[in-house]
Amino acid sequence: MATPAASPIRRARGEVLHDGFLRHAGFRWLKIATITCVLSIASYMLVDVTPHHNGGSWYGYTMGTIGALLILWLTLLGLRKRAMTRGRWSLKAWTSAHVYLGLSLIVIATLHTGFQLGWNVHTLAYALMMLVILSGLFGITVYASLPTALSNNRAEMTQVQMLDAVRAIDRQLHDAAQPLTHEQAALVRQSLEDDPFGGGLVARLSGRYPRCATARAQAVLRHWTGDTPDTGNDPLERVDALLERKQAMLARLRRHLKLKALLEIWLYIHVPATFALLAALTAHIVSVFFYW
Amino acid sequence: MSFLVRQISLTADGREIVRATSIAKSQLSLGRAAENDIHLPDLALEPDHARIEQVDERTVRLRATGTLGFELEGRTVLRAEIDPAQGAELRFGGHRITLSRGEDGATILSIRRIDAVSEASEEKEEARVFSLRGLLPGKRLTAWGLAVAILIGFLAVPIWSYASRPANDTRNIYTVAGDRSWSSGPLSQAHHALEGRCETCHQKAFVSVRDSACQTCHKDVHDHAPAARIAMARAEAGLGGKLLAGVAAAFGKPPEGACVDCHREHEGAGPMQPAPQAFCVDCHGTLKDRLKDSKIGNAADFGTSHPQFSALVQTRPGRYPSFLRRSLDGGPTDDSGLKFPHDIHLSATGGVAKMARTMKAQYGFGDALACKDCHKPTADGVRFLPVDMERDCQMCHSLAFETIGGTVRTLRHGQPDQVIADLRAYFRSTGPVEPPALGGVARRRPGDYAQGRIYHAYFGAAATRPSRADDAIRAVFSKGGACYDCHTVTPPGTNGNANWQVLPVHQPMRYMMNGWFDHAAHRTEKCESCHAAPRSHDARQLLLPKIDSCRTCHGGEKSKADVPSGCAMCHSYHIDDGAPWAPATPSLDKDMQDREKLTNSANPALPRMREPG
Repeated sequence: MATPAASPIRRARGEVLHDGFLRHAGFRWLKIATITCVLSIASYMLVDVTPHHNGGSWYGYTMGTIGALLILWLTLLGLRKRAMTRGRWSLKAWTSAHVYLGLSLIVIATLHTGFQLGWNVHTLAYALMMLVILSGLFGITVYASLPTALSNNRAEMTQVQMLDAVRAIDRQLHDAAQPLTHEQAALVRQSLEDDPFGGGLVARLSGRYPRCATARAQAVLRHWTGDTPDTGNDPLERVDALLERKQAMLARLRRHLKLKALLEIWLYIHVPATFALLAALTAHIVSVFFYW
Repeated sequence: MSFLVRQISLTADGREIVRATSIAKSQLSLGRAAENDIHLPDLALEPDHARIEQVDERTVRLRATGTLGFELEGRTVLRAEIDPAQGAELRFGGHRITLSRGEDGATILSIRRIDAVSEASEEKEEARVFSLRGLLPGKRLTAWGLAVAILIGFLAVPIWSYASRPANDTRNIYTVAGDRSWSSGPLSQAHHALEGRCETCHQKAFVSVRDSACQTCHKDVHDHAPAARIAMARAEAGLGGKLLAGVAAAFGKPPEGACVDCHREHEGAGPMQPAPQAFCVDCHGTLKDRLKDSKIGNAADFGTSHPQFSALVQTRPGRYPSFLRRSLDGGPTDDSGLKFPHDIHLSATGGVAKMARTMKAQYGFGDALACKDCHKPTADGVRFLPVDMERDCQMCHSLAFETIGGTVRTLRHGQPDQVIADLRAYFRSTGPVEPPALGGVARRRPGDYAQGRIYHAYFGAAATRPSRADDAIRAVFSKGGACYDCHTVTPPGTNGNANWQVLPVHQPMRYMMNGWFDHAAHRTEKCESCHAAPRSHDARQLLLPKIDSCRTCHGGEKSKADVPSGCAMCHSYHIDDGAPWAPATPSLDKDMQDREKLTNSANPALPRMREPG
């Protein structure tokens, strides 16, 4: 653990206070991971395994042991992240190491396989590991790029405020639609009954809602009102204006949802795939020693 | 007759507010329009939606005015009659109306809005709706589901499959699938039939593959040398090697020298690869340092570190020949007991070539004799058969001496006693019209030599025209006689022999007893490129090429030579008389075929000449 005095000294050296986990300590873990990869590749080239490299040679077992221990340590982030600490072994340092050592696992595990892949539990473990790493890579990418977009889109509104805005428009729509005929009211009701959080995973991730009831309601409404002049007291015109506002609000909300979904989706792969990987890794190791 | 309408609404903190209105009418209108008796601001309703009529004390009739009905106890109806004493629950759009009877006999309609104004207005849990929860199965559920599925499919099932194996396993390899997922790669061609039958080799769980498993089938495989000698021969491992051996031992691997050390499995379908050079070099690279009494030199790489070949040569020919293993460096001779000048026979000019040309049609000779005209390969093409007088020489070197009634009489080759007897018989019967033809090969002349024809050598010397049997016998066995030219002949009286003796000829088919040479594999080469036969004037000259000759094409296993050659190409670890085991390499075979086609088309008359290896 770092002594309390250590932090001010390091900052005095010119480190930024809000240094992200990627840049932590001047890319310390990136450097360590790079050196690890270079050493792994060099040793792979230099070590002469007969008849050719495979996971069962002494070199293969060494790389496999390193890889397995690394996987276990990387998994521990799930426990470690629940305890935020500072200093040398801060959660940030841990996360930084998690990211870069995790990426170096691509090299270590691939060399462990000796490029011998097949339809078996061993390759299953490898594939799951690659899935975990690639989903993590996606996570880092969106963490690095999306928060700015998210914050720009929000226009200083909170999520609840966004929802409340939609609700306010809905209430006004409801009132404004009272004088309408049943047919026209039904159209408005479609918009009101459309769940702004509806429309499956694909809609959420793409931000496209082709069956948006509000958009359809407005389209039909405009069809009716298109050739009548706006006299200022036609309830349809008032409803039209409200639908317009609702659409704008929904667009903002949906962009927000899309960005949030992108920030979240990778964890839905990263975490379950990690558990699957641990299971496959167990089966992989047991099978190797079972049929030793 | 009156209705009591109770409109119930909720405050923000969930408290009920009831506004009761008494309407003294027997019929009420209900709808979205403000002029209705019961005005429900609900877009799901028509402006004028329904009528509620008190027919009598026990009957309230409801009737939808439009085509949109209402719900009565969950069913959509257009009209209904209800006994207020029994009560009922109705639903109009987003409103619920409970119908009951008051103490004063009035019908009570309790109206409550139950649906929010819009979907968005319903109560939402922020953490849920703004996240992907609900759109995807939970992380925890997926994680445990996948983990358990994998543990069952890839751990429990294979172990169960192992444990439930029938004692007498006669299942087809394609039906055994339980632990297939554990196989790290396909087995080699030879072991393909064991695919899926893991326990054939992996006999006990958590016990590494033992030699005994291999020896179940490979019963006859013997070891390279006595175990004690192998142990002595093995180079001592370095620090790293010791560490590895220690780790291997800790994990229960058998000590060095196990079958699986060289014969790796699960390395892909197709033929198993021969043991790499490195396994041999462990001992043989510096063998002399540890096994001082070994007769073989150190060998680490064919291209750079391999002793000169040694051939088993005949030092003394005869009925009981003696052999010695001699390095080719000393230029050893090999005395088979035969006299034979290769150079004269292979010369493109001179008598032999001339004679060959006359026999082109009958024997397929070329303009001169070639190696193949006398040397015939074995059926497998690996070596050459010993030269056979009757088959390979007699077409020119005739042993005919007389014709009787069109039948040619021939001296019997290889049976000196019979020759003597035949000649005595010849002189004992009616005296010869002509003296028999007993001349040596050197005296034949072109134009009259075909097998079975007699050449009457009537020139000069009386010795060639014997008139008595003893003279004739002497003539045939002496210098200038038929036998003498090729064989070493001892006259009677020598070595206590009463008769003429011909030294037996022994033509070895193999000179290198510990290495394997396959002539068939070298058929694209000309004989002369390795064997200097055209310049050899003495049959005792050993025409085997030295190692440098091989090294023009062959190098060590990892070398850049045309043919990288590991030890296993020529040597067998489990030594026997057969060829060292080699995998069929389709690419190499194809290459060889292509080369053969090319060479054959370029030179159709390419001689297929081989020498004993």
